[in-house]
Formats: sequence, C-alpha cells, structure tokens
Amino acid sequence: MSKKPSTGPISLHKVIMVGSGGVGKSALTLQFMYDEFVEDYEPTKADSYRKKVVLDGEEVQIDILDTAGQEDYAAIRDNYFRSGEGFLCVFSITDDESFQATQEFREQILRVKNDENIPFLLVGNKCDLNDKRKVPLSECQARAQQWGGVPYVETSAKTRENVDKVFFDLMREIRSRKTEDSTKASGRAKDKSKRRKLKCTLL
Amino acid sequence: MIPPLVTGISPKEGPAGTKITIRGENLGLRANDLISVQICGGECSFEWQSKNKIIARTGINGVKGKGDVIVTTSSGGVGNCTVQFRTYVESIGPLKESAVWVEETPIQSLTWGQRRMVTSSYHSQEDPLSLSIEGNDKKFTEDLREIFPENSGDLSRENFSPYWFLLENHHATSFDDLKAGYSYLKRKVEGQKEGQLSFLKTHVGAVIDQLDTMMKLKDKIDNNGEVEIAERIHNLQGTISQSIDSSHALFDDVLMRREKADKSRAALSVLNRYKFLFCLPMSIQKNADNNEFDIIVNDYARVKNLYSGKVDIPLIKRVLSEIDEIILEVRKNLHNKLKEMPQAVEQQKKFVKCLINLEIQQFGTKQYERLKINDPAWDSLFCRARYIEETFKRTYEEFQEREVQAKENNSVKRDQNSLPIRVLFCEEINEIAAGQFPDLWRLGQSYFTGELRGINEPKPGNFKQIILNVIEKFCCYIRSSILPNYYQKFSSVPPWTSNSSQQALISTWLPTCLRYLRITYSSLIRLDLPNEVLDVVLKLIDELRLFCLLTILKKSIDKVKRLDEKEGWDMKVEEFPGATALPEKFEEILAESLDEGQQMCLQLEVRENPLFDGIHNLEGYHEVSKIIETALGCFSTVIEELATQRSDDEIHPLPRHNITGFPVNTSLNDSKSTAISTITITWEHRLLYCLANAAYCNKMFINNLGNLFTKYGYPIPKLALENGRSNMNMVFANLLEIYVELKNDTIVSHIEPSMFSSDNFSWNTIEKCDKLSFWANQCLDNIVGVYLEIFAVSPFLLRPILEQIIQTIAEELSRLMNSVEQFNNCGRVQAILDIKMIRDSLKLYNNERAKLSFNEAMDAIPKLSNDENRYVDELLKSIKIQRRIQLMCLNVVNPS
Ligand SMILES: Nc1nc2c(ncn2[C@@H]2O[C@H](COP(=O)(O)OP(=O)(O)O)[C@@H](O)[C@H]2O)c(=O)[nH]1
Ligand SMILES: [Mg+2]
Repeated sequence: MSKKPSTGPISLHKVIMVGSGGVGKSALTLQFMYDEFVEDYEPTKADSYRKKVVLDGEEVQIDILDTAGQEDYAAIRDNYFRSGEGFLCVFSITDDESFQATQEFREQILRVKNDENIPFLLVGNKCDLNDKRKVPLSECQARAQQWGGVPYVETSAKTRENVDKVFFDLMREIRSRKTEDSTKASGRAKDKSKRRKLKCTLL
Repeated sequence: MIPPLVTGISPKEGPAGTKITIRGENLGLRANDLISVQICGGECSFEWQSKNKIIARTGINGVKGKGDVIVTTSSGGVGNCTVQFRTYVESIGPLKESAVWVEETPIQSLTWGQRRMVTSSYHSQEDPLSLSIEGNDKKFTEDLREIFPENSGDLSRENFSPYWFLLENHHATSFDDLKAGYSYLKRKVEGQKEGQLSFLKTHVGAVIDQLDTMMKLKDKIDNNGEVEIAERIHNLQGTISQSIDSSHALFDDVLMRREKADKSRAALSVLNRYKFLFCLPMSIQKNADNNEFDIIVNDYARVKNLYSGKVDIPLIKRVLSEIDEIILEVRKNLHNKLKEMPQAVEQQKKFVKCLINLEIQQFGTKQYERLKINDPAWDSLFCRARYIEETFKRTYEEFQEREVQAKENNSVKRDQNSLPIRVLFCEEINEIAAGQFPDLWRLGQSYFTGELRGINEPKPGNFKQIILNVIEKFCCYIRSSILPNYYQKFSSVPPWTSNSSQQALISTWLPTCLRYLRITYSSLIRLDLPNEVLDVVLKLIDELRLFCLLTILKKSIDKVKRLDEKEGWDMKVEEFPGATALPEKFEEILAESLDEGQQMCLQLEVRENPLFDGIHNLEGYHEVSKIIETALGCFSTVIEELATQRSDDEIHPLPRHNITGFPVNTSLNDSKSTAISTITITWEHRLLYCLANAAYCNKMFINNLGNLFTKYGYPIPKLALENGRSNMNMVFANLLEIYVELKNDTIVSHIEPSMFSSDNFSWNTIEKCDKLSFWANQCLDNIVGVYLEIFAVSPFLLRPILEQIIQTIAEELSRLMNSVEQFNNCGRVQAILDIKMIRDSLKLYNNERAKLSFNEAMDAIPKLSNDENRYVDELLKSIKIQRRIQLMCLNVVNPS
C-alpha cells in the first residue's frame, strides 16, 4: 500500500490476556493476529504482539500481552497487569475450574489497577465445544452482571467466532475511557487549542 | 519489495539462549531467503517455518535489556518490528523454576554439566558460614543484578562477588553472628590447607581398602587372558549399536509424527485462509447491506495482507480482482452514503473514514483509478450545509402553505390561544438551526483539524462563506415571516406570501419569537463561531428587539385612546387642584409598556449591545419618540373630547337659572356618565376639570414623565415631551375659548338686555342716582357666580378665565357707552358709578386691554363736575361697604 495520510501519532491500546492455563488465550491471540489456529498446547510465559488495525475508521495500534495462567507466575503478574489498559479475562466453557479462577483474576486486576471501571471483558472460549460445556451460560452471564455489568462474550479460537469482536469491543472501551479521561484532565484548555487551530485555517 | 515486519514474539523476555517464536509479515519466501535474525543486537540461530513464523534462539552476545527483533531477508531487506524482547541474566539450576524449557543445547551442555555438580553440592550443603539463613529472604536479586552487572552471587562462579552473596543471603544476619561465621569459615580453610597428608591420615582405612581391591583386580586380569576381554568388548559394542539404532528409530518416528502434524496444521490454516478469501466477496456484500463498513475495512486489510504481492495463481488473482471490484462498489456506495442527509455527524464521519481507508488500501489497483473521489470529507461537509439550507427553504414553504390553508378552512373561527402559523414557523426554524448548525460546524472542525484527511490533498472550498450563507438565510427567513417589509431590503429569500392581517396578529407573539431566536443565538455563541457570523444573528436580534419594543409601545396608544372610559372625575392631584386621576392613569399605561419593553427588549443577554446606546440606533429611538408623541397627542385629544362631548342625555340643554346662567342642579340628572360620585357633575364642571387637567399636564405632568423614562432605562424623548406639551397647550386654549364663550353668553350678552329691561329706558331720562343700576348689580352677581364655579374646581383657572371675561365686559361697556346718544346729568353720574364699580371690583383681573376699554367707555360719557365726582366716590365707597362680603373674594390676590 502506498502513502498513508499523515494524521499525527496513532493511538496505542494495550490489551492483556488473562485466565487459567489452557483456556485458549494464546489461541485467541494468534487467531486474531495471524488467522491461525494452534492445536498443540505450549504453556506461555509472556508473549507480546502488536499490530495496526482500523477501529471505526480510525487507524490504531493494538498491543497484546499474552500471559501465563499458571499459579506459579502469580507474583510476576502484578507487574504485567500494571501496564494494561484493558483486559480479556478468558476461561474455557468446558472447564469449570478455569471459570472459578476468573474470580481471582478479576480481584487481582482491580487491586493492581485500583479502578472499578477498567475496560474488561469476560470471555468464554471454546464455544465450538458446546456439547462438552461444563459452565452454564446463565452462570457466566450472572457473574458478568455481578461484576458491575461487564460484557460477556463466547468465542471460539478454532472457528474464529467472535474473535475480532472481543478485541474490537475492548479497544472501543479503552478508547472511550481515554477520551473521557483526557477531557476530564485538561477540560476546556484542550478544546481551545483545537479551536484556535481551526480558526487559523478558516480565516 | 516489502521489508519483514515482526509483530509478535513468544516469550517476550528471557535469558540468553531462550527459544523464541517470532511471528509477523514477510519473514522470508522460503528457508534460504531468510538471512539473519537479530535480537537485542545479537545474532541468533534460527529456523524458518513460514513467511509468517520463525523459531529463533537468542545468542549470548546480545545486549541485556530491551531490544528490537530484526529479521533480514534477501527479498525484503532489513525489517522492522512492533514488539521488543528483553534479555536478562538468570542462573538456572535444577531446583529453580523456569518459564522457558531449558534445552540441552551444545552451547550450554558443557557448563550445564559442571554447574549441576557445583550448584547441587552448594545447595545440599549448609551455608558456607554455617549460619541459618532463615529470615533472609532473597528479595534483592533483581537489584543486585543491576548494582553488580559483572558479578554473580553464585559461589561456583568465577565472577563470584562476596558482597553480592552477603547482601543476598545475610542482609538480616547480626554482626556477631557474621563474626562467628567468619571464624568458622577461617577454621575450615585452615583445615583444608593442612594438605593431602592429613587427608590420607583421616581416611587411612578406606585408602587401604581401595589398594586391596585394586590388587585383587590385577590378579584376576592376569589369570583370565586377553581373548576373553576382546570378546566381551565386541559383545558390548554390538549391544550399544543396537540400542543406538532403536533409539534412532524411535526418534525418527517422533519426528515424522511431528512433521505430519505440522503439515496438517499448515493445510488447515491454508484451507481457512482460502475459505476466508473465497467467502469474502459474499461477506463484503452482506456486510455492506448491513452497513457494517468497519468489518469490510478490516477484512479487506486482512486479505490484502495475506495475498498481497506476488500471487501467480490465476484463480486467486481472479478472486482478488473480483474483491477489488466489490470494494469499488462499496466505495461508490460509501460516497453516496456520506452525502445522504439527514444523518448523524458521527455516522457521516464514520462513512468518510471508512471510505478513506478503503481508498488507501485500494490505491495502486486499476479499480482505484476508475473512481477518483477528490475530497470525500469536503463532499460530506458541503452536503450537510446544502441540506440545512434546503430544510430551511422547505419548512418556509410548508408553513406558508399551512397559513393559506388555515385561512381557507376556518377564517371565521380561530382559536385565540393557538399560536399563529408564522410564530410556529419561527419556532421550527430556530429548532432546525439550533439542532443542525452545530453539527455542520463540528464536521467542519473535524475537517480542518485533519481528522478526515484522505489520500488526496484536501481541497476545501470557502467554508466561512458557506457558514455565513447558512446563517444569513436563516435570518432572512425569520425576517420574512415576522418582520414588516421594510426590514427586508436586501433579503435573499422570496417574501412571505403576505397577508397584513396575519402580520398584525403576530404582534403579541413577538416576544416569544425573540426568545426563540435568543436561545439559538446563545447556542451558536457556545460554538465559538467567528464574530462575523455571530454578528449576522445579532443584527436580526437588534431589529427584532426594536420592532418588538415599538409594537409594545404602540399597544399603549390604543389603551390611551380608551382612557375616556376611565375618567371618574375625582380630583386627586394635590399640587394642582382640579386635575383628576386621568393623567395618573395615562402614566400607568405608559409605565406598564415601558416596563414590558424594558424587560423584553432593553435587558441585555449574552453578547448583545444596548438598544439605544449613544449614536447607535438613533433612527430606532426616533421611532420610539414618535410613538410617545402620538400617545401624548392621543391623550390631549382624550381630554379635549371629554370636555366637549356631551353624552346623549345632556344634548338637551339643561334648565338654567335665567338670571345667573347657572345650570340648575337637578336630581333628574342621573345619567351614567355623570352619576359616578354622589355629586352630580355638570358639563361646565367637566369642562373645568378638563381645563385643569390640560393646565396640569402642560405645566407639570409631562415634564415629570421624563423621570419615568429614566427609571426604566430609556433616554428621555425630549422632543416628544415638548411637542406633547405644546399640544396640550393648544387643547387648553381651545377649551378656554369654549368656556369663556359660554360664560360670555350668560354674562356679557345679558348686559344690554338688562340695561334696557324697563321698556323706555334711556340714559337721558334718569331721574335719580343713589345706587347701582340693576344691570351692574346683575353683572357683578354673575361674575361672582362664575368665580365661585371656577374656584370650586381650581383656583389656578381663575385668572386665565376671568381676565378673558372681564376684557369682554369692558369691551361691551365701551361699545354700549359709545352708542349712547345723550346723557342727562343723572344719567352721566349713574353711568360713571356703574362702570367704576364694575372696574374696581374686578381690578385684580383687569388686563391692559380691559383697562383700555374701561377708559374708552368712560371717555364716551361727558365729563362730570368736581362735585359730581366727589358724589360718585362717596356713593361708591358706601356701596363697596354694603357689598363687601360679596366683593371680598374677588380681591383675594392668591386664591387657593
Ligand atoms: N476446540 C477448541 N480448542 C481450543 C480453543 N482454544 C484453544 N484450544 C485448545 O486449547 C489448548 C490450549 O490453548 P492455549 O491457547 O495454549 O491456552 P492458553 O494457555 O490459555 O494460552 C490448545 O491445545 C488449543 O488448541 C477453542 O476455541 N476450541
Ligand atoms: Mg498460552
């Protein structure tokens, strides 16, 4: 592709994948990033991905940190979580234990970010395996509701169902959160500079 | 030639030697296309998997810390990366957990073997200082790595640093304990120094055992011979090679299975991609139908990424070009959609952005060349502006139509409370402007901040002019609908199909219209528009304010005209007896409208100027002044008419006392107009009240009105007040004339008849003169009667009225005397006596002309002798004494 429009630095949204081991965090990430599905299971420590996507007509960068789900790494997770702007909390609908574990992840995130409204999606993965479902849909939705109405989405890294959706929805939340913050922080001052600029072009 | 781009690494950190999966785009067309992989500046070993995936292992020569992952291929050159790898130093022992699987690679196998022995012995051993390390958590390891970058806390390392060790393991140990540890360590070292001899000494038993065993072994070998050994070795060799073969077989099997798995996985993903590719035309179509343009943009980007560059397979080429065709359609579709109105700004912006994105991606294809859209963002802006103007126009026509229909349908019966159509229009157009204009402005802002910049240089038209036009049109439509024609000299819109009765009907609603407009204005101000634009609206607001004010003031004229109904003939003005409450009522009316006008039109809202500010809007104030003048004029007329108009029952002349000319107060006179108070008010009284009102207005009231204007914040309309006063003066003069005329009728015209009342009276035949003549007596009585009538109403009126009457009397006497043919002696004395008596009694009210006429009258009488004169004077004196009570009032200098 040729020349890009020059519209200043493109914004970067930092997403973190959390959830127990084996629920499909890496699979979701790789499916979203590279359209591929990985059958075999290789435990992750911490993987980093970043690419440009178009979000509502605007070019943005998404940065994905795919973390380890294993207990052993609980301590280093604190560090990782600190840099996250939004979280996909993944469990497998075929594994009740992984669903129970989301509670702990949620608490850890709230503790580290110290923010009730951090952009957050609860993701039930492996929905292609519905016949082996162990966690009833109603229970998942109830938990999402109980967490202050975070969105709940079911995905399949295998069939690519809802994969784009969860990442894009999360980015939208992050983005609206940022514009909210920046308007809160700088208030009118920012608007004014914008306007002045406009007037110059105008008059 | 597209350079490689690394977009993912797994893991993102680790020590030297970590195996890393690298993913991205264009990572080499085939294995030998990949030239090098550098991580943190260090060369890596690598294995090419696909153009999207490489497996690499970091070398030991990379820099520690964060660094780029750079892939170089011969087809794409030196690449880029969006992610970074962090290298750190970590010693790994069998007891340490590791996130990465430490593989037994040749690089590490040497040190690995050594380290295992050393570290395991270390770990199994006690602390070298023989101290407990409880309470010494290893919490600073990361920090120590930074402080001693060259060293290590590992006892077995060459770069071992005792500082590190102590800080790491004994940061909480007390100094005494450390000293004890030190002496322990010293003892141990001393012990080792004693050398091998002491070692042998302590282990002498074991050494001798070993020596014995070795001796036995030597004997056995000597006995058995060499052949057997060789055979055994051979057997051993065979077994070993057998086990090698079977392990190879096992390994190959694993490798083969893995290869197969890889292959089927690759096949699956290829299948998936093709599925995606071949389904794309359909799904684009579907998404386009559902307005999901975002998804199209992302899918198109994906397909471009997967299949860009050299694809030689004709089928795929065909599909790709088919997709490009569809995208072309989508672009056309989007271009139409972004011009569609009405729609939300955000929606419009989204269309523009999607279109721009598709253009960027399609750039360079032949389909791109087929549809060139110069500046889609400008198109959207232009369409929005045009749409607003069209909406204005449509609404304008629609409401005119409605007005015409409403008139046809029920011109007779109209609900008084429902808003007139034009006012409804005014409300509607304000709503449109306040609702839609900000959207246009915001879109413009997005445009000029570059948010919507597309592939081509933006070619903005004159946005300011467009904005100005829209606002100008808006103002013109409002003018046409509610302001009279003369405000529309330069209007760019067709006039409202006029109907002046409707125009009059809306006048009470003007403040409402002004309110609508002000709301719009303040919402425009908040947008921070250029002053030039705001001033257009401000001008209309000023016009409307003025027109509204004039309308309010004009309303007062009608009320003034009906003031005559309010006259109750009760004297209320303290400082001017005779004036009624009418001027006060006039003032009330005026104050009410000035107050209303002040609240509606003079009070300033944001970014408005005073309506009458110095020279600003002189013309406007002239209009106000004219209305005030008219109101005052009407008031004068009301007073005049109240004085002159007799109500029906008064048309019949009242019965009068034939001597005094006084109207007789009859109880019959119970008509509504006069029976307001218990006292019956006659026409003459009303005339006098009105005279008093006119005089009061002229002398005091109108001047005081100036304060009223000041109070409500208006400039004082001096000219209007002055003209009002002179009007009032004229009314006074007219009424005075009427009244004097009336009195002359009863007094002056009676002189001659009463003089000649006895049949053959003549000045020449008078025999006796010892008292006033009958006619003079009657004349004086009449004057006193008039005096009392006036005095009862207003002493202020005595002088102007009496002077006139006396003057006429004097003139009449002069005429009568000059027409007498002859006086006998007695007649002469009598005439002088009569005239002097009248003259002297009224001397306070004799003006120059009266004096002159009295003299003329007396000159007409032949001169009296001195004796006669003395006689007259004496007689005069006694008559004055006789009548002194009657005459007293006439001589009060300042009656009140
Ligand atoms: N059927 C199915 N298998 C999945 C799905 N997602 C992941 N897996 C499999 O689950 C295993 C663990 O996946 P992985 O992504 O490594 O889990 P992680 O530990 O959360 O990163 C792998 O064998 C995947 O193939 C899914 O949506 N459907
Ligand atoms: Mg994983």
